[in-house]
Amino acid sequence: MKIYGNLTMEDTSIRENGGQIQMGPQGGSVVNNKPSEQGNSQVQYSIPGILHFIQHEWARFELERSQWEVDRAELQARIAFLQGERKGQENLKNDLVRRIKMLEYALKQERAKYHKLKYGVDLQQGDMKPPVLEDSNNVDSQAETESPVVANHPSWRQGRQLLRQYLQEIGYTDRIIDVRSTRVRALLGLNNNAEQDENVNGAPVNGNESNKRASETQGRRTPAKKTQPSSLAEAMMMETEAAVMVNLDFLTNADVDMEDDDDINEDVELEPGDEMDDDVKAVKRKGKLDDDVDAEAMEVLNELNLLSESVDHQRQDIKEESNEWNKGLSYSSTGKPCRQLRINDEENIDSTLGLGELAQLTVNNDAETTYDISSSKEAFRKTWNAKYTLRSHFDGVRALAFHPTEPVLITASEDHTLKLWNLQKTVPAKKSASLDVEPLYTFRCHTGPVLCLAISGTGEYCYSGGLDRNIHCWHRSHGCSMSNIDPYDLFEPEVLNCTLSGHTDAVWGLSVLHSRQHLVSCAADGTVKLWAPHSEGALLNTFTSEADGVPSSVDFVNDEPNRIVAAFNSSHSIIFDTETGKPVVRLESGQDSVAANKQINRVVCHPTLPLTISAHEDRHIRFWDNNTGKIVHSMVAHLDAVTSLAVDPNGLYLLSGSHDCSIRLWHLDNKTCVQEITAHRKKFDESILDVAFHPSRPYIASAGADGLAKVFV
Amino acid sequence: MKMADGSVILRRNRPGTKAKDFCRWPDEVFEEMDSTLAVQQYIQQLIKRDPANIDLILKMPDAQDEGVWKYEHLRQFCMELNGLAVRLQNECHPETCTQMTATEQWIFLCAAHKTPKECPAIDYTRHTLDGAACLLNSNKYFPSRVSIKESSVAKLGSVCRRVYRIFSHAYYHHRVIFDVFENETHLCRRFTHFVTKYNLMSKDNLIVPILEEDNILDESEA
Ligand SMILES: [Zn+2]
Ligand SMILES: [Zn+2]
Repeated sequence: MKIYGNLTMEDTSIRENGGQIQMGPQGGSVVNNKPSEQGNSQVQYSIPGILHFIQHEWARFELERSQWEVDRAELQARIAFLQGERKGQENLKNDLVRRIKMLEYALKQERAKYHKLKYGVDLQQGDMKPPVLEDSNNVDSQAETESPVVANHPSWRQGRQLLRQYLQEIGYTDRIIDVRSTRVRALLGLNNNAEQDENVNGAPVNGNESNKRASETQGRRTPAKKTQPSSLAEAMMMETEAAVMVNLDFLTNADVDMEDDDDINEDVELEPGDEMDDDVKAVKRKGKLDDDVDAEAMEVLNELNLLSESVDHQRQDIKEESNEWNKGLSYSSTGKPCRQLRINDEENIDSTLGLGELAQLTVNNDAETTYDISSSKEAFRKTWNAKYTLRSHFDGVRALAFHPTEPVLITASEDHTLKLWNLQKTVPAKKSASLDVEPLYTFRCHTGPVLCLAISGTGEYCYSGGLDRNIHCWHRSHGCSMSNIDPYDLFEPEVLNCTLSGHTDAVWGLSVLHSRQHLVSCAADGTVKLWAPHSEGALLNTFTSEADGVPSSVDFVNDEPNRIVAAFNSSHSIIFDTETGKPVVRLESGQDSVAANKQINRVVCHPTLPLTISAHEDRHIRFWDNNTGKIVHSMVAHLDAVTSLAVDPNGLYLLSGSHDCSIRLWHLDNKTCVQEITAHRKKFDESILDVAFHPSRPYIASAGADGLAKVFV
Repeated sequence: MKMADGSVILRRNRPGTKAKDFCRWPDEVFEEMDSTLAVQQYIQQLIKRDPANIDLILKMPDAQDEGVWKYEHLRQFCMELNGLAVRLQNECHPETCTQMTATEQWIFLCAAHKTPKECPAIDYTRHTLDGAACLLNSNKYFPSRVSIKESSVAKLGSVCRRVYRIFSHAYYHHRVIFDVFENETHLCRRFTHFVTKYNLMSKDNLIVPILEEDNILDESEA
């Protein structure tokens, strides 16, 4: 062992390291005379005895030192973790405050509107300024001074200082640190799991061990402060200690008086123990508080949600804004109401926001709500679960579309019909968490399978294209909302508003440009047609590209309303100018497209970015730059052909469906799969035929060849 | 299913498929269909191949559960009846056909309502098809498409009786539509043979004269 080397080197070093142990100047001669004195073991203070004692003491200090190193590393990790949590929690708080301010403002506007409508006078309700939000740095510095965590800082720092001093006093041995560091790492690895376990079960597995150790120490410790580990950090410290002690049992069992053992223990354990307690408790509270805050926020959101559609819009915008903040996406604001709600980064915090108690509330929450940085993003990322099963079609459901605002959707099936469903009119299915929905209305006019579907921006009209070459335009008359229909009402021929005939083969794709009430369709006859369905001479233009084959899917380019993108079964897509009718940009991968079947099954445009996304038969999803026509990203997205795509209204998530029976949710930012759901069964070699996001509510849906549609919440 | 050259047949209607190529793929042997929807696939495949070959379409594969077989056929009938309903919508108006009748003997009440109602013929047609779609897709009565409880199989008869009235109304009141449709699909003939074969309706109720034409009345009795 190294002990010998150290001993023979210099007695001064021993004195320094040993601290309180008074060895006296004869230490050096002791070492030199060692061999000659060996026989005199009977003497009370024999040289070997002293040597033995020194060795023991040395080993003990080494041991304790290393142990403290372990503890220190653990505590530092703990500190880092807690600081991270605090930061995350601040982020969350900022977000909630932002949301509350937005809602407050929306509510005020709504009240003012209502008041004005009712009394014809402007309502005086104090501050009607749109909320201006502080940038995050300001909040940071504010929190810095206000939060109790920081208020504790001096004593905390003191504790650290003390610890550091102590460690410096007893020195540093790299070798032992090395040995211990693996154990520390293992412990830290356990850290997260253990914490969760404790939060849930109250007592971690290693609780017994630490209890044992605690009672062990209790005997030696005078007024024992804790007989049970009151915090995780302490439990872990004790556990480490116990482990170390067990391993080196022979040392503690040595019949040497270890007077200062207790002192040291107390010094080390009590100081940081008290400190840690507060913080750790804060962490423990975390789980519950998060829920509360979230639930409260959601409750508020839900209540406000009912107020009016415009508030709903605003809420959405708020969501968009906050997401935009997180993602740094540029967001175009065309045609959206309540622009004044845009958050201004540059402006400073306006303390007279008129939030009243709400503002207080959030400030008070400051230190208590904790949220991990990484999961603050996840606050908006939910796990989708199947909730509604829509069973009433006799054959595969080819397409589905949500109403823009109501919890209503329409499905189009190979059984020649379209059905309208209201998710609020459900039949509880026995023995399952999911609800069955019965259709409210069945649209019959197609004489063959219905292949595609689109709903106008107001939800007033629904367009469907079929194998029978026709595009039908459906309309619910007498102004009633789509959700108030008796399924067994009398037949109204005027439900069918008009029929657009012009295609000479199956119509496979439809898309609506909400701002202009334009409709674009593509068909197996090789043409893409642009319609103004509700005016005379509905057909506006026809686009073809014979070299590229048959168009399989179309969409409007969202950031340039004069453009449409058409995907062809040759795997190329073309962006056309709707006014000139000329192709503007070609989206070509450049590789030989004929060899593998790279047919595009679906093409969609990003709602805000100049980005086109295509789903291919060769299991890929490809991303294209609309300006350059170059491929931006390409990924194998499924185990089988990708059939359908949908981008959420905020442009953050992509939903894809495939014949591999699963739908997958992708984060558009980093193109990672967030969730996969096996949703439908196969009929022949087809499975999922369409997917959709609700434009304003948290619903997603999938349509399958098994004749079912499913809605996830 | 692998082809000799190693390429795999994928039975898919990819976007862009022409109407004439829809579902036009090589037949798959029933025994090789591993989907839970195999019976539907098989029935549709037979109909696609030759809708007039009723005997073959109604010939149940060996070891097939008869309840499922009848159930899937009835689903297919109701689905194809949508085609007849669409055609009737153009001609059968509530003003002209105020009641659901075939011969003058009976007025049929629409069972889709809480209390049966005297719906006009076109509404009777729509309501009956909608109701059949709900019943046949009901999670309560038909939770599975591979095995069906005996009590649920018993429900098939009443569905047959109701949807048959659509054929009879079309035959007696909109003969042109009926003939064009029947010529194309052979649906009423297939339906008549189906309910006769599986004893789902009494022969007195089969008022569209098809069995007489086919002269199979005696056969089936024998
Ligand atoms: Zn009639
Ligand atoms: Zn009725």
